[in-house]
Amino acid sequence: MLSSTAENLFWMSRYVERMDFIARLLDAGRRLDALPRREGTVESEWTSVLIASGSATTFPDDPQNATAASVCHHLIRDTNNPSSIMSCIAAARFNTKAVRSSVTSEVWEAINQTRSELQRLIEQDLDVHNLSAFLDKVRGRSIMIGGAATETMIRDDRHGYMQLGKWLERADSTARLLDVKYNVLLPKASDVGGGLDYLQWLQILRAANSAGAFRHIYGRSIDSEGVVDMLVLNSDSPRSLRTSLSHVYGELQALVTQNSPPQQDLLHRVRSNYTQLMNLSVEDIFAQGLHEWLTAFIVELNKTSLQTATVFGFGPATIPSSS
Amino acid sequence: MYNEMFRGDDLRKEYSVIKEWMDKHGPEALLERQAEAEELFRRIGITFAVYSEGADTDRLIPFDMVPRVFNADEWNIVERGSIQRAKALNAFIADIYGSRAIIEQGVVPASILENNPAYLPAMNGFRPPNDIWAHIIGVDIVRTDENEFYVLEDNSRTPSGISYVLQNREVMTRMFPNLFEGGRVRPVDGYGDHLATAMQDCAPANCIGAPTLALLTPGQFNSAYYEHYFLADLMGIELVEGSDLFVDSDDKVYMRTTKGPQQVDVIYRRLDDDYIDPEMFEPTSLLGVPGLMRAMMAGNITVVNAPGTGIADDKAIYTYVPDMIRFYLNEEPVIPNVPTYCCERPDDLAYVLENLADLVVKEVHGSGGYGMLVGPTSTPEEVAAFYKKVEANPENYIAQPTLSLSTSPILTPDGMSPRHVDLRPYVISGATTSLIPSGLSRVALTEGSLIVNSSQGGGVKDTWVLNEGASHA
Repeated sequence: MLSSTAENLFWMSRYVERMDFIARLLDAGRRLDALPRREGTVESEWTSVLIASGSATTFPDDPQNATAASVCHHLIRDTNNPSSIMSCIAAARFNTKAVRSSVTSEVWEAINQTRSELQRLIEQDLDVHNLSAFLDKVRGRSIMIGGAATETMIRDDRHGYMQLGKWLERADSTARLLDVKYNVLLPKASDVGGGLDYLQWLQILRAANSAGAFRHIYGRSIDSEGVVDMLVLNSDSPRSLRTSLSHVYGELQALVTQNSPPQQDLLHRVRSNYTQLMNLSVEDIFAQGLHEWLTAFIVELNKTSLQTATVFGFGPATIPSSS
Repeated sequence: MYNEMFRGDDLRKEYSVIKEWMDKHGPEALLERQAEAEELFRRIGITFAVYSEGADTDRLIPFDMVPRVFNADEWNIVERGSIQRAKALNAFIADIYGSRAIIEQGVVPASILENNPAYLPAMNGFRPPNDIWAHIIGVDIVRTDENEFYVLEDNSRTPSGISYVLQNREVMTRMFPNLFEGGRVRPVDGYGDHLATAMQDCAPANCIGAPTLALLTPGQFNSAYYEHYFLADLMGIELVEGSDLFVDSDDKVYMRTTKGPQQVDVIYRRLDDDYIDPEMFEPTSLLGVPGLMRAMMAGNITVVNAPGTGIADDKAIYTYVPDMIRFYLNEEPVIPNVPTYCCERPDDLAYVLENLADLVVKEVHGSGGYGMLVGPTSTPEEVAAFYKKVEANPENYIAQPTLSLSTSPILTPDGMSPRHVDLRPYVISGATTSLIPSGLSRVALTEGSLIVNSSQGGGVKDTWVLNEGASHA
């Protein structure tokens, strides 16, 4: 396969996944924003959302002054932000259009229609009244695109590069989503483990579509250890880091060639990362500090992405900054 | 004026099925179906971008649902005329970059090569496989009467539009299968096979085994990008951009793939000569492949169409094509040229300036209906402004009488209405020279207008060629 074709397929699904993630983040922000807070404390959830999205550097204002309106604008419609929802879908469409003959017409049409439809929707003002409806639409559309790929694509290298992009991006997204909690300030240290702490973790889980499954799986009320276990270590969760890396490793096994040492190196790197994750416990993560561990994970993931681009002959990659 | 559907008030028998179909549905229902067809085109993504509107403006070519019909005899003229022309043009290009017999013997003046940007001296002495230079030639033909056709111009560089021919038919057969019952209309399937076979037939001398084919596109901002994708998909070959290819020190062309370099043997390039090789031509071009010409000269790659074929479709060369046909093929032209005045000749210039309001004036190196004057439909101010342009720069212009172009009916809210049409069949040359039984029928959508170019608001129609003996009576 042409390297550029692989690159376009890889980025197409990364951008769709990123669009989905930005919608989830904004949804988390909206829910956190609605939580009660003590008088005199500063709002921090929108700053946190902005930092977790990797878009703090493109944000035209001081991230500490972020508001619901300015963050929504920057993450939904700002074309100066390569990770905004509209930038993501435009980029996904651009990538798909460049490789039209490598995807099924169902995938192309799903992406093409998503862009037209989102463009139509953002012609209206988005505010608290219709923001969640818009975000639901974005997530519904990304599921449709993913479904079109799963249901209609032949399981060859083309499908492989799409999946590789999707799972790398999802690992990155889930790590960033967990890190939102780090930046959301609790009014005072003693609130850790309190009611507000609980509510904030709940919103993170909701944004990851995992709140309902939590009690079913863990049989207890939501707490930080449980959330981290679910989103990092649970191999049954479709969004956990273990699941994501397991797919990245599986796709790479099929894509690399035996006689290419650089491609074999990449495979070894991912296998070692995956093995580490398999041997990790929640206690290990908290011992290191959740934020520190997540940051290290995201940095390593970026290195993996860059190496992927190099060994398969992609052009220079664009990866948002790691918080 | 020749109406292709009616003779006076009488329906021509070729159109009887179409007339029945139109009567049965009525214009309103058909216009609704037309909107449905356009939605289909948009969904599939059959669009073109208009240069002046910036990058991401995908527009549809308006599609008129009333098919245009040629009977077997009429098509016979078109087919023989187009093939004859393609053969003569290929012989001419080979001659120009070879021994120049046609100039030696005084049939064509040597001056046509002077200051001609389409002439590439770098190609002198080069011989492509099978001596085919222009593998795909679009011949723009107009009709003025029963069995009376003229060639308006030739397109020997990278003619576009074939995707519309195939997709128009696809949409019509999908929406109105009954129209095609009984196999009276000759199918257009097989264009991709046809073209891929011609490309394989012209594989370079050094190619061993089955040649690897690719289609080189300038990228998705090109107005014809959809067609590039469509044709690559149709032939099952890679669609590549310049950055996907490189020429190694062995003078061979390779694609960059995820599993390492893979050699390419034949490239159908949809990129102008100027941009294909920055080593040789426009050094700032990012679209081309550095060293491509080197690889071609070394016999490692066939470029379709070869560089330098523009020499054959220059509007100044056009006037000599009938002479070429006589010179190389020893035949009389099946389809004549439109009488053409070259403004660089003083007598012609005087006549043109005198009769500007009755003539169509075109730039010698222009294309796509830009920078032209249609005298009879222009205001006196427009004519006066053009007068100055021609007077100041006569060698830049040619002029032709306004032909009484045939009309074909289009669907309007008030029923059928005649509009002017032209035709572009696509001749493919490989081991043999042939064309599929259809072509691009472009139709002016404005009443009375003679300009059919899509960039100027023209539309397209499905074009039928009836089987021998099938008259639809």
